[in-house]
Amino acid sequence: MSDVTLDSVTKRYDSEAAVEGIDLRVDDGEVLGVIGPSGCGKTTTLRTIAGFETPTAGAVRFDGEDVTNVPPERRNVGLVFQSYALFDNMSVAQNVAFGLKMQGVGADERRERAVELLELLGIEALADRSPRTLSGGQQQRVGLARALAIEPNILLLDEPMTGLDEQLKRRLRTELSELLSELDVTALYVTHDQEEAMVMCDRIAVLNDGTIEQVGSPQDIYEQPANQFVADFVGTSNVLDAVVTDGRVDLGFAAVNANGLSEADDGRLIVRPDDFVPGGSAFEAVVRDRYYLGECVRVRAELPDGQFVTVDLDGEWQDSHPGEALPLDIRTDGIHVLS
Amino acid sequence: MTDDSHSTQRPRESGTSRLWWLLGRLDVSATVGKPLVTLVVVLTLVFLLVPIVATVVASFATTWTGVVPRGFFTLDNWRIVLGMKEGLGPRGGVISGLVFSAMVATGGMVLNILVGVPIAYSLTRYDFFGKDWVNTLAVLPVVPGIVLAVAFIRTYPHNSGSSLGLIVGYALLKSPFMVLTVQSSFQSMNLQQIEESARSLGASWPRTFLTVIVPNAKDGIIAGSIITWTLAAAEFNFTFIVDPTDPQPFALFLYENISRSPVLQSAAAVSVYFSIVLVVIVLLQSVGRTGFTTVER
Repeated sequence: MSDVTLDSVTKRYDSEAAVEGIDLRVDDGEVLGVIGPSGCGKTTTLRTIAGFETPTAGAVRFDGEDVTNVPPERRNVGLVFQSYALFDNMSVAQNVAFGLKMQGVGADERRERAVELLELLGIEALADRSPRTLSGGQQQRVGLARALAIEPNILLLDEPMTGLDEQLKRRLRTELSELLSELDVTALYVTHDQEEAMVMCDRIAVLNDGTIEQVGSPQDIYEQPANQFVADFVGTSNVLDAVVTDGRVDLGFAAVNANGLSEADDGRLIVRPDDFVPGGSAFEAVVRDRYYLGECVRVRAELPDGQFVTVDLDGEWQDSHPGEALPLDIRTDGIHVLS
Repeated sequence: MTDDSHSTQRPRESGTSRLWWLLGRLDVSATVGKPLVTLVVVLTLVFLLVPIVATVVASFATTWTGVVPRGFFTLDNWRIVLGMKEGLGPRGGVISGLVFSAMVATGGMVLNILVGVPIAYSLTRYDFFGKDWVNTLAVLPVVPGIVLAVAFIRTYPHNSGSSLGLIVGYALLKSPFMVLTVQSSFQSMNLQQIEESARSLGASWPRTFLTVIVPNAKDGIIAGSIITWTLAAAEFNFTFIVDPTDPQPFALFLYENISRSPVLQSAAAVSVYFSIVLVVIVLLQSVGRTGFTTVER
């Protein structure tokens, strides 16, 4: 495995930039998640590392070596797609052994290593089956085994779980996470599912409009968003203007205790739905919509100044319904402030 | 409000609504639908196959005056058609003509595969300026053979009467069938991701194309090959105008047998054509089943 670096990579199609001046590093053995809205440049970044896009400017390096102009077949990267992209003219074992054949590995050793990988993924019984006869989850495992067989410099996963049902997705997520950790694989994981990225990745890069907004651990990204875009994109957040004076946070329509906040923290508070304290005495909101999410009840509530916020309710407050008053406070310990 | 989508009450609307309601209650799909569709398919097949079967059977008869041939069993009609016995109609060189025709039709088919598959791939895989025009041009040769033949010998007069002229002409004339069937195969797969998977695993583009892309389109290639071979073998108009001297192509052999010979000899000549087509289809399908494995187990 290698560390992979993108140095000021820009990719333009005609005059339109798909990615603009991206600096990114995936450390050896690290799983880096790339998340962002549709069209933000996630897949272009992945394809640039794979060699299917040549940067308009900047460089791609594997272990410090410039591979910007090295063709895809000589980069030794593993690709796993959402559509699986298995070769239907070959059996499962032949699919897994394909990359080894391209490397000139002998037939017996190819078969042996393909079966080893299939065993690792728990699908050795499918070795002689046609990919067409497999379920989505089985095909995704074959795709993963095929990409891992060549012991790639980096494993590139492009929305690999999209299209699978929720239960299977959760199971595969855990299996894949354990496998990547066990094999110490350097991986770039592109997804639009932030929960998936949080579970799977050591660090996450948030892309927007072709540029990187923030790179950090899942916890940093969630708890210390660099800007409002990251705060809005990762999880659910409410942004409230605040001024801190005399140990109180003035929200304009009410004031709450400024536990841990100082006057230097004037700015915008990033209030997560579970930062609200139902039954508090700081101010009163009115419930406008109610959503039962199973594990909690989430409401959309109107504040006294007319702003709308998203609030998670627990205990007796779960019975609040649209039109009813909801007394609230805000837990400001450790709350993040955007200056 | 109650959900009455499964109500057993009859609707009070028009007669059509009542008919749909009644069909829904009868579960027509399970009780009548399948047998009805099967019956229609069987009747259609019988309707199409009876003339062929009757012709082949008649080729072994001594008389065929009414609907049913009579006076079995004789091989004389086949012997005359194949030049093994004297009779009315065309003479000599039948076997060499058949072999020549099979080779020319095969040449046209191979040329179609060599040119049609890459064209179908490009049209499916890439977006480029003028793609719609190329798409149209690829299908344009579906013109009557006589039209193409006149244009062909005017443009390439030195190819008139040559087997190369026939091969190129057959390939051109039948190319839309290859392009369309293979394009349909390519459209059913995610070409870009399959290609990129193979390349990321170390395969060069030519190797990816030949060992992954083409084998994955085998159904379309086999279907296209069967259609182009069969149609080329029986292409009369183009063959007649380009007019090779010797040996006589199969289409002209058929024409002469049908137009100048007694009906039972015509039946034998047509039977020869069906036999050859059957052999070619079986051969091509067999190649399709076994001939596209690119990685040994």
